[in-house]
Amino acid sequence: MKILVAIKQVPDPTVVAFDEQGTLQPNTGLIVNDYDSYAIEAAVRLKEADPDTTDVVAMSLGPASAKDAIARALAMGADRGVHLLTDGTVPDSLAVARAIRTEADAGEYDLVLVGQESSDGGTGNVGPETAALLDWPLISNVVALELEGHKLTLGREVEDGRHVVEVTLPAVLCVLTGLNEPRYPSLKGIMGARKKPLAVTESATDTRAVSWNPPHPEDRPEIGVVVDAEEIGVDAAAHLIVTLLRERDLLP
Amino acid sequence: MVATHVLAVIETSAGELRPASLELITVARELAEDGTVVALVVGHAVGQVAADIATRGVNAVLVADDALLTRYTTDAWAHVIETAVTEQQPRIVLLPGTTAGRDLGPYLAARSGTTSLSDCISLEWDGEDLLARRPVYGGKMVADVRLTPAHRAWAVVRAGAYAAPEATSPPAAMLPLQIDPSRVRQRVRLKDVAEKRGGSVNLEMAERIVTGGRGVGSPEGFALIEQLAAALGAGVGATRAVTDAGWRPHHEQIGQTGRNVKPKLYLAVGVSGAVQHLAGMRGSDTIIAINRDPDAPIFRLAALGIVGDLNEIVPALTRELTKSQDG
Repeated sequence: MKILVAIKQVPDPTVVAFDEQGTLQPNTGLIVNDYDSYAIEAAVRLKEADPDTTDVVAMSLGPASAKDAIARALAMGADRGVHLLTDGTVPDSLAVARAIRTEADAGEYDLVLVGQESSDGGTGNVGPETAALLDWPLISNVVALELEGHKLTLGREVEDGRHVVEVTLPAVLCVLTGLNEPRYPSLKGIMGARKKPLAVTESATDTRAVSWNPPHPEDRPEIGVVVDAEEIGVDAAAHLIVTLLRERDLLP
Repeated sequence: MVATHVLAVIETSAGELRPASLELITVARELAEDGTVVALVVGHAVGQVAADIATRGVNAVLVADDALLTRYTTDAWAHVIETAVTEQQPRIVLLPGTTAGRDLGPYLAARSGTTSLSDCISLEWDGEDLLARRPVYGGKMVADVRLTPAHRAWAVVRAGAYAAPEATSPPAAMLPLQIDPSRVRQRVRLKDVAEKRGGSVNLEMAERIVTGGRGVGSPEGFALIEQLAAALGAGVGATRAVTDAGWRPHHEQIGQTGRNVKPKLYLAVGVSGAVQHLAGMRGSDTIIAINRDPDAPIFRLAALGIVGDLNEIVPALTRELTKSQDG
């Protein structure tokens, strides 16, 4: 079985900050998109269950730094890396999906795993678009996964609760956190990753369907006040909350 | 842009309307200007839902009612929407910001060679272009995305971004959409649906909710949240990050795929306010937030936001509340 995990390198969402022009603060750390770590882990676990016949390829479309994201996937246990090197232009979701489709077609894969969405652009478009272009079944919001032969049984977390679905490979899965617990790469994994094959190709510039303007803060009027507890003191902050609760008749 | 024809997909599940679908009619009316808005109701046993939609200011209601459509599966729903699109030839297709809508928008758009404007918090014409505003970086910022629709545009509208239209117009015509079940692919088979289980407190009914997020730091940290909730007579909620980590049970999760709550008081502690979480609590009357990060999106919804260490502020607040009740 051949598994393609498509991952994205994103600015670390726990520290991401912008200046007034909406420019990302320089030197923001880059990490593997959180949901994508669960996709890598799922692929590696499938490989561990059947190591001899499973091949896991981690691919990423991005600038030179994206090789670090691929290296992490390799250190977690993926077999090979594919880096589609971009020249600084940011592709839209359809361009990414087309690149994944091209790799999936060329490599005769059985399963494509992606994270449900990225923490930066966050459209969540790539998985559904990839499934459409490949004409493979799409299963999103995956929180449970079991493989038996070529049959996948999946748990999906949706508004109703949990759907359990079955599908026969090939398929495209979009995974959520909670599916598993992504491992930290071991020292052996990190050292071994350096010897694993990594194919780097310049990504063909694709026409973009949409154009993005730089992000900016939402110009919604603030509906309340924000105070800093360090300035006014913790007890004064607590007192402010109780004052508002009393004013609005919200105390028990 | 005048006289645009817009199709709004109205989602149901097990016969029940997904409220986010209603809001599409408001957007559709704005985009259509002098044109027509057709609602496509998808599901099974949806006669009542369709009759209600017909009174909400649409020009016509198409009803796709079949046992195959009782709950969302991509293949069946994609087939129905494509059938309606072929019949209606809309310029814009709108989908709700639900888990199904967020699948179908990009899926169907890609099948027709374009991309979907996803998670729109506003959607408007700018000359010949469609301009969508959407949250990025977990809602810390917004970005404007421009699409020059070559032929047809697909857009997914964020739940809660627009108000639902009133049910005041004379009922529009309702027409069945003919589907041939033998042409519906069923590559993904739905085997079981585990409905959400309630906890000890029914959070949807709670007047006050204290929700802890990732910032609470550990399962033990929730002792502070529980003490505060007890002092307020409030239910305890959690974010998805917290229930995923196993710090709290899944039935306490508030958000898009969790509970949808509208209490009088929503006190968010260590909750950054990711868009998926906001989708489940945006309708709360008074929102108060305590968070270390002054840029946390939750503060923009809060009547009162306190920037600081929750480990100091929460115990101080619990003390103050206990004191004010004793006194």
